[in-house]
Amino acid sequence: MDEGARDCLGLDVAVGNGRALHAVASRRDFMRLIGMGGALVLLPSLLAGCEDGSNTGGLTGPGTGAAVTIDFALGDVAVLQLAYALEQLEADFYGRVVANFASSGFSTAEQATLSHIHNHERIHRDFLKATLGTSAGFTLATVYDGVDFGNRISVLKAARTLEDTGVAAYNGASQYLTLAGNLLVAAKIVSVEARHASVIRDMISPLSNEFAPSAFDDVDRPKTVATAAQAYLVNKLVFANEPTAFTPGPADKG
Amino acid sequence: MTHTDLTSPIDPEIVVALDRRAAEIARGATVASPIAAMLALGSIPIAIGALATDVYGQAPSDVLDVLQFALLLEYLESEFYQRAINSTGLIPASDIAVFSTIATHEVTHVTSLLELIKGRSGTPRARPAFDFTARGAVPGFAFAATQYATFKLLAQAFEDTGVRAYKGQLTRLMTDKVALNAALAIHSVEARHAAEVRRLRGGNGWITGSRRDDLPVFTQPVYDGEDNTTHGAVSVAALASGSGGVDSATEAFDEPLTMAQVTSIITPFLA
Repeated sequence: MDEGARDCLGLDVAVGNGRALHAVASRRDFMRLIGMGGALVLLPSLLAGCEDGSNTGGLTGPGTGAAVTIDFALGDVAVLQLAYALEQLEADFYGRVVANFASSGFSTAEQATLSHIHNHERIHRDFLKATLGTSAGFTLATVYDGVDFGNRISVLKAARTLEDTGVAAYNGASQYLTLAGNLLVAAKIVSVEARHASVIRDMISPLSNEFAPSAFDDVDRPKTVATAAQAYLVNKLVFANEPTAFTPGPADKG
Repeated sequence: MTHTDLTSPIDPEIVVALDRRAAEIARGATVASPIAAMLALGSIPIAIGALATDVYGQAPSDVLDVLQFALLLEYLESEFYQRAINSTGLIPASDIAVFSTIATHEVTHVTSLLELIKGRSGTPRARPAFDFTARGAVPGFAFAATQYATFKLLAQAFEDTGVRAYKGQLTRLMTDKVALNAALAIHSVEARHAAEVRRLRGGNGWITGSRRDDLPVFTQPVYDGEDNTTHGAVSVAALASGSGGVDSATEAFDEPLTMAQVTSIITPFLA
């Protein structure tokens, strides 16, 4: 067992474990692990008690909870895990938005739109969970400091940040995908995130140029994405073996 | 719980292509030696991953082919919006910011693609002449002041097509990260445009099923296949039961079009 993996009380939990490569018994297992990006290795017993957001160790500030490590040595799996983390966050966020409709001042039409987006994000989350299988063994606890779920514009601004981050995240992490099938799946999702971003931005500033503020969307490094997401996550999002090489996008950010 | 298998995220279309490529190799087609080595080793997962790269080829000519194709789409869109912006009385003042923004972006996309093509020693294709009546499918359309509704429905069709067109070509850019990032950064902006135009027309920002809604029947190929609910090895129709059901499942994923499908859609617009 990986001595670096700890429990749910604010300690480190490895999402996947490249070191388990040393423990495989046969060449066939080895090849299977390589093919999987090594993602078979899971610590379900350590994570079993972490569902329902109880893995905060009693702490609630951003990054104060159990660390969740995404190991880029896992290749494509790590990219999908990063996406899974973001989709968990988005699904949770819109769940709270929907739960607060009674007080947040959204019109009936806006409520319908936000409920649709909530469904899409839940589906993205559950799709990635199913795709990752045993590599999806983490549930993130969220925190929304500074977001007033009873205030329309406060909610929309947070939604804008999440959607823009999602677009830039998929755009930036796609260069690390090695399988065409995974790139296609990421592309199927990212354009829907971009549609969301456009809709949210239009709700903030209707019929302006805000729905698409640049001819090129951002293409962000995973580290940049993690910093943006961390503001809303109790769990500390940690990267291992993050690639040093990064090709920036045409907007030259990242 | 679905267990992640290496091949599971690969779409059936890709598997077919892989199968074809494998058959070609069996018949003696040349293959990169590392792939041959992996096949010899019996490492099917790795070989499939590498073959996917092989099939979707990243020869410079392949990248150029994609960039030239994208340039044609951007020529179409940029001319469409420029003519609209320049047509007095077509776009109401309330909506001019939206379409000016889109028009500017499409011009920028053209410029960017020209540079990418030249930077790869390619010669950009010439800007063709366009027929925005689509050879009569949009009877009498001439950017006239009374034709704003028609302009908007064409805009929606072009933007939704653009999203699907880029999506269908991304895997051919996998070893040219600069070109890939440019395509990705444009792809998601086209999706922002699409959502805005759809909302401007009173619809949702996303596509439900394969529905063209109130668009004319000739636009149906823009939406065919958008009702797919299987991605890799995962059927999202079942897992969406508590999240809006099949309609939401189709909305949550945009689908690619092949180059041939896109060509068929836009050919009527070429004069």
